[in-house]
Parts: sequence; structure tokens; C-alpha cells
Amino acid sequence: MREKRIGMLIAIAVLLILLIWTLFPIYWMVNTSFKPDAEIYNIIPTLWPKQFTTINYEKLISSNFFTYVGNSLTVAGTVTVFGVFLSTIAAYAISKLRFRGRTVISQAIIYAYLIPRSIMYIPLYMLVSRLNLLNSLWALMLIYPTLVIPYATWILIAYFKTIPNNLEEAALIDGCTRLQTLFLVAIPLAAPGIMSTAIFSFTMCWGDHLYALVIITKDSFKTIPLGISDLIVDDLFAWGQLAGAAIFAALPVLLLYMLGSKYIVTGVTAGAVKG
Amino acid sequence: MVAQKKVRRLQFEGANNSRLALCLIAPVVIYLLLVMLTPILWAIITSMQNKNRTEFVAFENYAWIFTNRSAWRSFSNALGNTLVYTLFCVGGKVLLGVIIALVLNQQIKGRNLYRALLLLPWTIPTVTSVFTWRWLYSDVGGVLSYLLQVSGFTTERVEWLATNNTAMLSCILVNVWRGAPFIGISVLSALQTIPHSLYEAARIDGANAPRQFHSITLPYIKDVLGMSSLVTTIWTLNDFEMVWLLTRGAPAYATELLSLYSYRVGFSNGNLPRAIAVSFMFFPVVIAMVAVFTNRSLRKESDFAGG
Repeated sequence: MREKRIGMLIAIAVLLILLIWTLFPIYWMVNTSFKPDAEIYNIIPTLWPKQFTTINYEKLISSNFFTYVGNSLTVAGTVTVFGVFLSTIAAYAISKLRFRGRTVISQAIIYAYLIPRSIMYIPLYMLVSRLNLLNSLWALMLIYPTLVIPYATWILIAYFKTIPNNLEEAALIDGCTRLQTLFLVAIPLAAPGIMSTAIFSFTMCWGDHLYALVIITKDSFKTIPLGISDLIVDDLFAWGQLAGAAIFAALPVLLLYMLGSKYIVTGVTAGAVKG
Repeated sequence: MVAQKKVRRLQFEGANNSRLALCLIAPVVIYLLLVMLTPILWAIITSMQNKNRTEFVAFENYAWIFTNRSAWRSFSNALGNTLVYTLFCVGGKVLLGVIIALVLNQQIKGRNLYRALLLLPWTIPTVTSVFTWRWLYSDVGGVLSYLLQVSGFTTERVEWLATNNTAMLSCILVNVWRGAPFIGISVLSALQTIPHSLYEAARIDGANAPRQFHSITLPYIKDVLGMSSLVTTIWTLNDFEMVWLLTRGAPAYATELLSLYSYRVGFSNGNLPRAIAVSFMFFPVVIAMVAVFTNRSLRKESDFAGG
């Protein structure tokens, strides 16, 4: 019917606008990373590099940049694995088991999640400083779980609650211990939620700037966000390299999202959509 | 029937699982006590010391915020900026997110590809998105100014991040660009659970599009929208790096949020106790903003958590 056709046309028009709004900045960044400095600072920007070059990437490779990548990978990977694992078993206990103090603990975890990073960063700096761990990856691995654990536990509690108990009950009747049902039944069932939580957690650690900023000042321990802002010296922005570095910083996370894409959508609404 | 279910659930949960439960939650609880609670307590004590950490001055640092004229000016400026920033960012993200969801819900060919593309800003790290936009905004070689000049909207170069009025707007724009897809995806999932037959029936009954949206769509997405908005608000309030990397609080502190002001006091001026005092003043703001959603969402959480 005509109404439907007009509605569809409007939708397509809006979609087009959204695509331009979303993709143009990213395209522009990729575009810039392949231009030489001379062309970048040209008065008239070019939609496609007139002088296609990989020199920016070459400069990046020969600099410390990949040390930063390694640091970020190490920290984000370790923290994600440990943090999500511990959060999963805690979330299982809170959502499926009865024990004294259950309500208090779950409320406390939610409030812990609400504490802004802009309040936590100073206490955490002091903790790291007292432990003499400043300028080390250990420090980051120690404090990044404060980003991961409250969020992951909260989401996973809600997620576990949506998983029906029958399969576990059946396993229990068949003689499994509680611990066995946790690892053999509950966790496999919750895999999509756990996966998407892990991806979000990795992204949080990968992208943290504030904590790393106050804790790491020595170059060899810097993470990617710090490394990128280092490409700015005083007022001079090395835009070609910045663009390349920024793109590079995005690739691992993008890869993760692509691999886990089917988990993301289900995980995001965990517990929020009833029934 | 209901009683039977309840008995089964109690049996399933079981009281003799306490030891197992405690083992499972112990790591998380111990970690949070040691790495979150203890440092916060230390910080509270530190906030009551003087700049050199040699003497105990009780609430002097807190009073300083309100009594010292320039401190109050900076603080109230930062507070105002934070409220404006958060309000407009969350509002913008919700609005844009709902639009994204509505569009992606249509039966357009290649939907999945577009969904992945529109999710891109959310997936790339904050640093990347910040510098992407910083480059667009740049007054030397930046594309946005060029486009505006070429299309005739302005006559001279626009310094997006250096002018008071446009600086805050520019920051909000980046935040909305980055965060809207998250809300879009969340709402989309809820939209996709709505049976088409409902819309058909409504149309047959003569309901027009706005009416359909109000009576059918909204109730279905309310829960998800509420939860996503709450989470988004928390994340926006948490935001330090985006604004700091874009403007460092310039020009003339027009974009200095509370988090940036606290950083300035603590690390640029070297007065850690005062910085802590300033950042703790952030708490009322957080609680106030979250309270808007708290009634609905936290109560739901205690449904989940308390059982």
C-alpha cells in the first residue's frame, strides 16, 4: 500500500543519512592514514589520496608503537580472562544459590559499579603507589578488574536468572555435584552472555586511558591510548601517523566483535527483555 | 501449582550450598574489598590532610571548594558543564539510538550489513573515535570547516574546539556519535520481539503511525530503553578521556567537567587531597542523575539479585 511504500522510502533516506554520519569520519581517518604529510595539510582536502603512501605505517612500525600494542594485549587479555571467570562463578552463586548476605553482596556489587572512574582513579593511584608498582603492567593488571568485575558480575547475574533451572536439576538428580553442574551445565548454557561480556570487558581494558595515564609514565610500559596521545608533541599533531595508529588501535577490537557478533546482540539485552 | 514451584526452587537453591557459594563469591568479594573499598577509605582520610600530607585538616579541603572564590567559580563551572554535557549526551544518544533501531527494524535488504556498519563507532576504542573527530574538527586541514566554507554556510574557518560555544557542542557530538549505536542495538533487539500481527491489527482498526508507535512499540521497548539509558548515563558521567583528549577543558574551562577539574587540581597543581575532595563532590551528582532511573531499574536489579 502507498503508506507502506512512503514509510519505506523515509526509512531508506534516514538509513542513508545515518550511514554517512557513521562512516564518513571513519573513512576520513583511513583516508588520511594513507596520505603523505604534504597532502594532509593541503588547503583543499582530497576524498581519495592523490599520493597514496604507506609511509605513516612504516614510521609507526619503526617506532615503539608495537610495544604499546603488546602491553595493551597482555593487560587486556589477562584481566578479561581472570575477571570474567571470577565474575561468572560469583554471578552463578548469587543468582542460583542461597546463602546469608546474598542481597547485601549483590547490592554492594551494583554500587561498586556505579562508582565513577573519575573518583576511583586517585585512590587506585595511591594504592599502586604504596605497593611500589608504579610504571608496571602488574599495576594495570591489578586495578583493571575494578572496571571488569562489577560490570561483568551485574550483567551475568541478570543473565543467569534467565536460564531455567531444569537442566541443572536433571543433572543434580543424575548425581552431579553442584560444582559439576556449574561447569558442565550452567556455563555452557550461559556461553553467549559470557562471550559478549568478555568482549565488552576486553574493550574496556583496551581503551582505558585515565588509569593508565596516572600510573604509567615510562615509555616501555605504555598502553595504546597513551601511545597514541604521545604522537602529539606540544601543539604538533602528526596526523598521518595518528590516523594510522588510531586505525591500528581499532583493529583487534573490531576483530573480536566480528568473531563474536552473534553473541553481542543477545548479550546486550541480557536480563532486560523479560519473556 | 505455584506453591509446588516455590518448593522446587527452594530445594534447588538449597541451604547446604552455603559453603560452595562462599567459595564462589570469595575471590570477587575479597578483590573488591582490597582494591576498591580500602583505597576509597584511604582516599577519604587523605582528603582530610593538607597539601604536603603532613597534617590532618579535617574538612578544610571540602570547605575550600565553597569558600574560596576562585575554587567555587571553577567548581560550579565544572558542575554546570558536567550536567549540561551529560544531559545532552544521553538525550542525543537515546534519540539517535531509537531512530537507528527503528530504521534497522525495517525490512531493508542487507539489513545485517548495515547493522554491523552502524555499530562501528561503538566498537572502536575511544581514543580512535576521539582523534577521528579531532581531525575532522581541526582548523588546519580539517574537513568540516572546509565543507562548511565551500557550501557557503560560513565565511571563515570555524575553530570547533577552540571557541567557547562550539567546543561543548563538539564534545557532545563525538559522545553521541560513539554511544548512540549501543542504544540502537539494544532497542533493536526489543523491537524484533514485537509480533508484526499487532501492527497489522492496529492498522486495520485505523490507527496511524504515531498512535501505533505509542501504543504498541513503546511498551515493548520501555524496559530495554530504561536499562540502556541508565547504563549510558553511568558511562557518560564516568567519561574523562573523551573530553580531555578533545579539549583538555579548554577554551577557558568551557568544557571542563568535574573529572577534568579534579585532575587539574590533583595532577597539574599537585594538591592530591584537594583533588580527592573535589572528586568526592561528584557523588551527589551521580546519585542525583542515577536517581532519575533508579526507581525503575534498581528495583528491578534487586528483583534479580535478592531473588
